[in-house]
Amino acid sequence: MAYNKYRYGPPALKSSVDMQLQSAFSDGNWSTVVRLAAKRFATFKDPYYEAIKVSTEAQLQGTAEKCAVLVHVDELVKSKKTPDIDTLDLFEWACQDFIGYEIEFAETFGPLRARWVKANANSPMAVSCLQGCLEQWDLVSAQQIAATLDKTHANSADRRYMFWNITLTFLLSISPQCTEASRKVYSLLTVRQLQKAADITESSEKLEKTDKGLLTEEEVCLYYRVLLGHGTKEEFLTRLKSPKLGAIGQLKQGHKLLFCECLDALETWGEWDTIYELCRDALKLGLDGSTTPFFVCDLRIWKKFVAAATEATNADAALDEVQNVLKQFIELKDKATPMYKKNISLALLETTFRLPSTTINPNHENKALSPKVIQIGLFLDEYYERFAAFDDVKGYVAELGYEEAKTFLEDVLPNIPGENPTKAQQIIITALECRLRYTLTTCPQTLSPHPTVVEGTDQGKPFKCRVCSNLAKSPCEDCLKKLIIDAANAYSQVAADKELLAAIPKLDRDPRLDLALVMGNSLLKLSGLRPKLPNFAQSLWQDVQPEVLLQAVLLLDTQLRVTPNDNGLRLMLVQLYLLFGCASYAHQLWVPLDVKRTIQDALSPLFFDRISSISPGLFQGTRPLMEPLRAYYSQSLRDPSPVRIWDAFSSGSYTSVLDMAEYDKKLRTSCTLVMTLVEERRAARLFVGKLDIDIDDHILATDIVEDTTLVHKTDYGSFPNLESANGPPIQDFIRLGPGPSNERSHLSFLAEQYLDLLSYTPPKDYKPSKAAEAAARDKAYNLETLIRINTSLTDFLHKPPTPKLLTPPETNYYTALSLLSALVLTAISLPKSEASVPTIVSQTTQSLKTTLTTLRTGLLSPRSTASVSTEQTISSLCDMPAFSSVRDIALGTKLSAAFVLACHERETARDKSGRSGLHKGVVMEMKALESAAAKTLADARAHVGVLKGVMNESGWLDRLLDVVLGEEDKEADELTDKVSDVVDGRAGAEEWAGKVVESWREGVKGWGMVRFE
Amino acid sequence: MANFRRFRPDDLNKLSKCNLDPLTETYELSFYLQYYAKWPSLFQVAEDENGNIIGYIMGKLESSPDVYKFSEHYLPWHAHITAVTVAPEARRLGIGKLLTEQLEAAGDAGNAWFIDLFVRKTNHKAIKFYESMGYSIFRVVKEYYGDHSTDPTQNSEDAYDMRKPLKRDVKKEHIRTDGEKHEVDPTDVW
Repeated sequence: MAYNKYRYGPPALKSSVDMQLQSAFSDGNWSTVVRLAAKRFATFKDPYYEAIKVSTEAQLQGTAEKCAVLVHVDELVKSKKTPDIDTLDLFEWACQDFIGYEIEFAETFGPLRARWVKANANSPMAVSCLQGCLEQWDLVSAQQIAATLDKTHANSADRRYMFWNITLTFLLSISPQCTEASRKVYSLLTVRQLQKAADITESSEKLEKTDKGLLTEEEVCLYYRVLLGHGTKEEFLTRLKSPKLGAIGQLKQGHKLLFCECLDALETWGEWDTIYELCRDALKLGLDGSTTPFFVCDLRIWKKFVAAATEATNADAALDEVQNVLKQFIELKDKATPMYKKNISLALLETTFRLPSTTINPNHENKALSPKVIQIGLFLDEYYERFAAFDDVKGYVAELGYEEAKTFLEDVLPNIPGENPTKAQQIIITALECRLRYTLTTCPQTLSPHPTVVEGTDQGKPFKCRVCSNLAKSPCEDCLKKLIIDAANAYSQVAADKELLAAIPKLDRDPRLDLALVMGNSLLKLSGLRPKLPNFAQSLWQDVQPEVLLQAVLLLDTQLRVTPNDNGLRLMLVQLYLLFGCASYAHQLWVPLDVKRTIQDALSPLFFDRISSISPGLFQGTRPLMEPLRAYYSQSLRDPSPVRIWDAFSSGSYTSVLDMAEYDKKLRTSCTLVMTLVEERRAARLFVGKLDIDIDDHILATDIVEDTTLVHKTDYGSFPNLESANGPPIQDFIRLGPGPSNERSHLSFLAEQYLDLLSYTPPKDYKPSKAAEAAARDKAYNLETLIRINTSLTDFLHKPPTPKLLTPPETNYYTALSLLSALVLTAISLPKSEASVPTIVSQTTQSLKTTLTTLRTGLLSPRSTASVSTEQTISSLCDMPAFSSVRDIALGTKLSAAFVLACHERETARDKSGRSGLHKGVVMEMKALESAAAKTLADARAHVGVLKGVMNESGWLDRLLDVVLGEEDKEADELTDKVSDVVDGRAGAEEWAGKVVESWREGVKGWGMVRFE
Repeated sequence: MANFRRFRPDDLNKLSKCNLDPLTETYELSFYLQYYAKWPSLFQVAEDENGNIIGYIMGKLESSPDVYKFSEHYLPWHAHITAVTVAPEARRLGIGKLLTEQLEAAGDAGNAWFIDLFVRKTNHKAIKFYESMGYSIFRVVKEYYGDHSTDPTQNSEDAYDMRKPLKRDVKKEHIRTDGEKHEVDPTDVW
């Protein structure tokens, strides 16, 4: 991607240029400029006029004129002479459309600008040259310019040059632009330069602003970043303890960044003694008045302090000191703001949990009402009504032993609001209790192992629940059922109590939301929904009890209407509806979240990942579905350099420079970016069949090659996660499949590359004069591309983590493409003269035909609507991603066979001798494969037709409600009754059922528009 | 529950708790990075235990461009609060106040005369909050916002430019007691 510094117009001409030429140039009257410049050049022999002429010619239409400037630039580079800066500006402007394509900045203008700066280092324009190179992300030239400027201004008072040089040398040393030979030299150079600067600071009584030592927080932190990258651990540790440049010394100056950053490095090295000492000294600074009291009183610091104390060489003494420091902060608590008060309370809780039990409970008195339980109780005394109370204590409650947890829930928690609690306080406690009970169902201490085989029969229940004493699986289903009933009763109590309802707006959090989440999550677990493991069944419906899963969705959806501003619940429902194939309804819920601009990279996968395989119809709206996402990347990655990088340089924000470079690299290689490209292309192919450009040629795909590590950063932070740390978080249960990953993104990208190769057709007017030569070149290109794609597909598929990162339909699809690419490769490279076709060809085609048959019979529904049950239909509607993969495999097969057959036809048409063309056996195999693919595609089309027919039938509302709440005239089980109560019965659920059915219909309608040929 | 530290670009991937709230605006990447590039120490975040951002403040230190030096609206060296937000779950803990105080301290450290901010005239809660922290209305910027937060029939809304004097302004020369009477156009502010 080329940076275009002349986006807003050409450079100014030299002031010596006459008015006539100036005015023609500023008016964009290019023909006149060319004529006048040529005249002036002939008269004055000043090469600048020639440069004007050549540069202006590049604005004209003719290819020869356009490209003439390239020749001049090339001559300039080769000449080794110092160029004229105004000529350079003109040439760079003229070449703006060529940079990054026909020419590379780093091979042309970068070195030219560096050459010019070397000869004109004192010119104010030198800094512009540095900026120009930096904004083109030509680090080699930028570093050379910075080094020149540093050397030239070595005796000046301006310290920027030195730090620009150091920062750029460091950036270069960690960049792929640096040669291996130079890398070590540059690494050493940065360390030495900063060491020297650090020594100046250490040895100076007081550093003046003109001294070349480390003065600002940015400079100091740059030094430590460089040490981390290229220095030794010993030097890092020694310097960290120095009075001036050490972490504590910096804190005394009000600089917290180094202290925060160094703790992570120390933890990586296991330097617990140093962490302990630093945290202790830092916290004490607040106590002795060297900083404001709570300057470092963050929970993270307390946690590290306690953890380091337990790991310290003299742990007993260290833990005593932790308690001593904490005690002093507790004494200050009254002066603290609510935030720090809470941090101190949490620090106390943390300390209680991390201290050895012999310290906090030396006599082992009352193991159930332990100090841990008491501390949680004391914390909740203060904070139980607060929004974050559950999240604050969840982890600690999950760590309690069974007896402790029991005592906490039965004896401590209910008494927290005091003797005469209000109704609101009571219901808050009930909601908190329900949530904690749910969390405990995900903890191993509530279950004890139990023989699963009783009288020779496997009961399938390998545990005994310590809460309800029943035999159980994990989690205990009886406990979950009881939890649903208790939460539903509490919910109904709130709904029926006007006083409580009136009190809710004044509360931090609506207790109905918490109760609904408990019920919803419990139902999800009871339904059998589990994180998607590689061996999970093709169909969601085969794994779960559909009525229970639908009850969970109905209940949570009902709650969203009560608390529409709860984003966590909304996000959870978006995921669930995608799982159900209700993409248009999921979209309706997604839109109000207003995910736009910068947050799209982290949040968009929550809706858009795999969307083309769920509901292609969504792409048929008036506005391209993923346009905002594409626009975001186009805008943010428009230039080759990180956004705003020069601002950071010019402001002396050196750590910002490093972080922005790192962030930019991740954004350019984001899994969400790949998802954007792939999903749009997949959707386009579903309807149009052919795409305008290959994925490789997409401007946003510039930085993506096989060995790029693609980065996923999906933000699940807002999900209401009631699970304990013993199991996967809630998003792993409700997501359609594994989240975005490097492996899946690469596979999807490679699949697009393969389909691009198969779909390529030369322009109609392409008639090469040497047809045989052109055909040989095409064949070589195809073979080379196929080898690359096949090798990469196979490599990614065989990486150990890959099976866990794909859904079964995705595994099928990419495996099929891997086989197909190998098959095509063999087919077009096999000499016609070979006696027989290698068995691998027939084996591969047979394997593919079997796959197609298996998928066809396994997934596609009967051909008649009459025999399709409600459950079968819902199952099919939920399985659209699997259906989509069947279509994709069949289409990939068809395209592959067609590609090979087209090669054969082209060759036989070109060479009538009969010697060219493909092997007869290969052609036969391909025809058979094409026919099998066509049959599968026809069946797939019929499948959509059947679904459409079934969904168009009347009575769907009742059919769905019958599944969810049971048939009207039949008695429902207790759980269904409770769910029914919460959602206001069948009548209350009708609107929901209508939306779900409508969304399914829309989905099927979208599939009806898809091409199956 | 919360840690206070300087913003880093990776935090942009952890903004959902703050930025999915309708009261918080989401900007283009260049906007966030401009602040991080130019005034990194004035871009502070509060994060929860899991690294989610539950509050942040973006600020800057600047004066009006020199070309306006003789304009009555010229602003001398001052700190400015561009955005401050706290996630719903972390409200009522004083996080907004702590973040604002941090920026005020940075303003003092940077020798600024005052700290200022713009707030919607109808955002009574925020105005009360700033007043409690010593801010006062300096002027009213007419039709500063291109929409109205409470009245969908209107296509603009006035802003209060609120200020708090910093240590440098010993004589309190940069604040007014009758700011509500001083109206300016959006073109008069930078």
